[in-house]
Amino acid sequence: MKLTLDVWRQDNPAGPGRFETYEVLDATPEMSVVELLDRLNEQLVETGAEPVAFESDCREGICGACGVTVDDRPHGAQPNTPSCHQRLARYTEGQRIRIEPLRSGAYPVIRDLVVDRSALDRVITAGGHVAINAGTAPDADAAALDFAAAEMALDFAACIGCGACVAACPNGAAHLFVGSKLAHLAALPTTKAERGKRARAMISEMELDFGPCSSYGECADVCPAGIPLSAIAVVNKERLRAVLRGRNT
Amino acid sequence: MPSPVSPGPQAATTTAPTPEPTPQGRATLPGAEPAALAAGRVTDTRVRTAPTVPSWVLKLVMAVTGTIFALFLLVHMFGNLKVFTGAEHFNEYAHWLHTILEPFLPWNGVLWILRVVLSISLVAHVVAAVLLKQRARRSRGRVPRKRLPLKTFAGRNMLVTGIVLFAFIVFHLLDLTVGTPGVAPASYTAGTTEASFAYQNLVASFQRPAAAAFYIVALLTLFLHLAHGLVTVVHDLGMTGRRTRAVAFAAGGALALAILLGNILIPVAVLTGVVK
Repeated sequence: MKLTLDVWRQDNPAGPGRFETYEVLDATPEMSVVELLDRLNEQLVETGAEPVAFESDCREGICGACGVTVDDRPHGAQPNTPSCHQRLARYTEGQRIRIEPLRSGAYPVIRDLVVDRSALDRVITAGGHVAINAGTAPDADAAALDFAAAEMALDFAACIGCGACVAACPNGAAHLFVGSKLAHLAALPTTKAERGKRARAMISEMELDFGPCSSYGECADVCPAGIPLSAIAVVNKERLRAVLRGRNT
Repeated sequence: MPSPVSPGPQAATTTAPTPEPTPQGRATLPGAEPAALAAGRVTDTRVRTAPTVPSWVLKLVMAVTGTIFALFLLVHMFGNLKVFTGAEHFNEYAHWLHTILEPFLPWNGVLWILRVVLSISLVAHVVAAVLLKQRARRSRGRVPRKRLPLKTFAGRNMLVTGIVLFAFIVFHLLDLTVGTPGVAPASYTAGTTEASFAYQNLVASFQRPAAAAFYIVALLTLFLHLAHGLVTVVHDLGMTGRRTRAVAFAAGGALALAILLGNILIPVAVLTGVVK
């Protein structure tokens, strides 16, 4: 199948970028968006042109490295699916597809489709980790954690940190990302001890780069890990809890 | 997590492949900060410096003041519906509003308390909205998403519906509270300490098709604003439980719908001659 691609080309962070139009003649329905870019790059290399820079790693939806904006939607048209799993079956012969980097004020473009998502790392560095000496492994059931809480923590821990939620948000907010980490760590016995401190640190850091949440719900629609929209409420919940409970717990 | 990115094939061919870059041999990239680039990043400049009032506080202010408005509007709607009980009863109710808690409070006491609370809420709500909108624009960057789905319509237009509602509040106060000539109907009669003429004023106002149309448009706008606003309240107040959220969303939707339907009946009833 023939597909026409408008691909964002940008040589360096200073820009300016531009769309360039390419044709891929032998795209197949089972190809993913990332494989379509591979095929395009093979063509470009054969003709001696510079290939399109894009990020991808595991190609099985667990690493969070890939992520491009396809026709104005981060990752692609199919909900809750990473770019590496967005298949071309939904496109028809001769269709035009626009591929851009993930767009956000917090994500400067490095080159072509590659953006710098360090702003997400900074939020994790601020508090998305465990700074408690937990000692040796406790005896089984020594720390109370019921099944429902464990499952809930796992659901929120599913975030792969791809940052598509920020690119999907008309406000450039990172509440789904931050909320999933806060919810995950607030549910578990050891990490619970730093709940207040973590909420203060991560949310202060988040507000330096990311926007406020206006409940558009776009983030949860594109999230490849299927983080539920309730994660965005966790941000304010944990922050208010930190106010009510005092400084660090 | 996204991995640190190498400066790209071009840079790799032009710089020496030394593992510890010296200031002279450091890879350069137009538009990137050299110090950040050495650590595998493009920039260490943040979108904004730490704001005096954090966004989560502003969102909380908007949620609380918005809820005050929504609850006020519910009570206001119950009062308005008394118009269907006849002129005498409605005017009695309007007069009673001025005398609530007398003699513990002076004439108009409760009304002035409400006016002060609502005015402060309005100023806080608008200031917070403007600040948050500015921050949102900065964070979303220069290439915002286009072609957003229709379900985000109310959310995207909160500022527009808010401005329409502000214009409506001004009109509504001049029309039926102050009775400004030109805005209020020609037959407007101000209430006295003895009696109120709210019913006659309301009917005269709504008998003007343009005024009635503005009330109807304002109520539809209010529904859009409340429908999205009350969902946002649930998130801003940090309601995360499955049942809590379900109940809160249902209550918010019911509140928005009740305020729309209860109030819109009145201009429709006047226009169709049911209330005269």
